[in-house]
Amino acid sequence: MFRLIAADLVRYRWGALAVALLIALATALGVVVTLEERALRLGSARAAAAFDLVVGAPGSETQLVLSTVFLQPAPLTLLPGRVLAELSADPRVAYAAPVGFGDFSDGRPVVGTTQQLLDGLGGVSEGHRFTRLGEAVIGAAVPRALGDTFHPMHGPAEAHGGVHTAITYRIVGRLAPTGTVWDRAILVPIEAVWRIHALDDHADEHSGPDQVTRADSAGEPGSGAAGAPTGAQPRTIADAYRLSQEREATGFDAPIRPEAVADPAAPGVPAIVVKPRTIADAYKLRQAYRTDHTLAVFPGEVLTRLYGTLGDARQILAFVALNAQALVAAAVLLVVLIHVMARRRQIGALRAFGAPRAVVFATVWLEAVLVVGVGLVAGFGLGYGVARVLARLISVQTGVVLPVGFSAEDGSAFLVLFAASGLAALLPAALAYRQSPAAALRA
Amino acid sequence: MPGLDIRDLVVGFPGLERPALDIPELVIPSGAHVALTGPSGSGKTTFINIVTGLERAPTGRVAWGGTDIAGLGEGARDRWRAADVGLVMQEFHLFPGLSALENVLLPQRLATFRLPPSLRAEANRLLARVGIGRPGQKVETLSRGQMQRVAVARALVARPGIIVADEPTASLDADAGAAVAELLAALAREVGATLLVATHDDRLIAGMERLLRLESGRLMPVASAAPSMPVPAAADPAA
Ligand SMILES: Nc1ncnc2c1ncn2[C@@H]1O[C@H](COP(=O)(O)OP(=O)(O)OP(=O)(O)O)[C@@H](O)[C@H]1O
Ligand SMILES: [Mg+2]
Repeated sequence: MFRLIAADLVRYRWGALAVALLIALATALGVVVTLEERALRLGSARAAAAFDLVVGAPGSETQLVLSTVFLQPAPLTLLPGRVLAELSADPRVAYAAPVGFGDFSDGRPVVGTTQQLLDGLGGVSEGHRFTRLGEAVIGAAVPRALGDTFHPMHGPAEAHGGVHTAITYRIVGRLAPTGTVWDRAILVPIEAVWRIHALDDHADEHSGPDQVTRADSAGEPGSGAAGAPTGAQPRTIADAYRLSQEREATGFDAPIRPEAVADPAAPGVPAIVVKPRTIADAYKLRQAYRTDHTLAVFPGEVLTRLYGTLGDARQILAFVALNAQALVAAAVLLVVLIHVMARRRQIGALRAFGAPRAVVFATVWLEAVLVVGVGLVAGFGLGYGVARVLARLISVQTGVVLPVGFSAEDGSAFLVLFAASGLAALLPAALAYRQSPAAALRA
Repeated sequence: MPGLDIRDLVVGFPGLERPALDIPELVIPSGAHVALTGPSGSGKTTFINIVTGLERAPTGRVAWGGTDIAGLGEGARDRWRAADVGLVMQEFHLFPGLSALENVLLPQRLATFRLPPSLRAEANRLLARVGIGRPGQKVETLSRGQMQRVAVARALVARPGIIVADEPTASLDADAGAAVAELLAALAREVGATLLVATHDDRLIAGMERLLRLESGRLMPVASAAPSMPVPAAADPAA
């Protein structure tokens, strides 16, 4: 029987190959849609993992999340410095880290933040965290070596925002891989970012709307800017910098001061990543910071909502894939049926010469299932490969890492498909079974 | 070596006003070599199909050595045919892609779970006997005469008691046809099988002991050219 199937398949190898290929392509189409959608979901859930709660200025929740979690450049309104100070002092908060973006180096975002976010993202795997203003920590996927130096650009390279020549950052550490866009980012002390921008502002009074700049906290009613408690110290970093402007770059040798972020008069930031102590705290904090002046969101929730809308597109894709598969299945069934019809003489002859009916049935069934099964397996392999390549392309372009992988779900989908093809193969097998040998020999 | 006993066999087809086959009585003794002739459309193939169980007899009795195959179901007829009948058709019905030896063994291989080793030896012996020098040769590369000889070997490999052939020489040239005709008669005699051949081929008819003539589905009396009883091997035309 197996010898017979093998001989038959060899004889009709091109036809069998075409059928298997057709099935493989149709299967791959569905597999790619499924895998890519899942990868997008997992990838963004992973990206949002380090960001329990994000606080920003009122505006679009989606934009706040995209800018913070995916570092998508967008002009966000700044939060006044006192919000960061307040959050840092809040007992419900494990840590509150500013995220100051707007600068770039070689197209890579340079993000001002604090040591706490370095740890929150998974810590450094090489070198050490930044401890001085002029030090930087690079993401795992940044192709630079420790010890390298760079000048940040204001705005992405193509925007020609100008080079901040006043500062040279030196890379002192590398983050452990996170599988997110942050792997491509360069992290620097927020104080350094504040300083550069204060310096630039001072250099050419008002060059235009700035992404990271001094928040007009002084203008806020009741911010008590004049009554800053820090006696002998300069009132703000910016002021301090302005005073010591002559010292220029040497100032960036200074160690970072973690308490700078707790200063209510500190310059503003576009977003603050908050790590609440408990889940209950998280909800309370979100409640407390949903005000007229601030916006607090759970990135996970916002992304889920976003996928709700994307889900429609996915459903259309899945629908298209499903229809393509149904068409291919119907076409393949037809081809197999025609093939069996065309060979009914041979099939009838087998029985006339003594082959049992059940064996003829089993032979036709097995051969059909074999070809379809090969197509299915190849389709899953092909789909996986294409999904991987697509994910790689997307990751190179956007930095969002898409974890492509099969799950138990796919295993059952495979089994269902396989069972369905087994059932469909009963049709040609039954046709062969019912073939009268006398009629076959006469034909 | 069963003989054939037919009673009241009438086979009609829808759309035919007269029955395609109408045989009130026919007895073929065990081991006889019988030729079946008649003009085209006279019912020869229909007769062959009925007596080999490929089609079921709608009425009457078709008994081979006591087994009335008219009373058997399709599966039972298949099993009976596989065990007792060796078939040779005008077309060879060999399976391309398989060797001559594999083709001879194919029905047995499909019918039995494990092929008895003796069967393989018998297949090789038969192939040698019908003059196929290379049993491993792919069957589609054989000449037509060789193909029919492979088909003869296939019909005989399970040592059936009945050998039935429908126009076995009709698609061969004269020499190849003569070779197949001789082989059929000689091999049937070697195993002592009852041989029934539907044919127009005079050479094939001449080698048979008895002649049946069908006309419009009825058996006609023949001016008996051959004795109606089995004769000794001296009648072998190959001699
Ligand atoms: N399935 C069928 N349906 C209708 N008529 C049939 C069927 N099978 C055979 N016949 C008719 O029965 C008659 C006998 O046909 P059969 O094939 O037995 O003739 P034959 O003697 O073998 O002829 P030939 O020498 O040409 O092979 C013919 O008239 C044929 O048309
Ligand atoms: Mg005929």
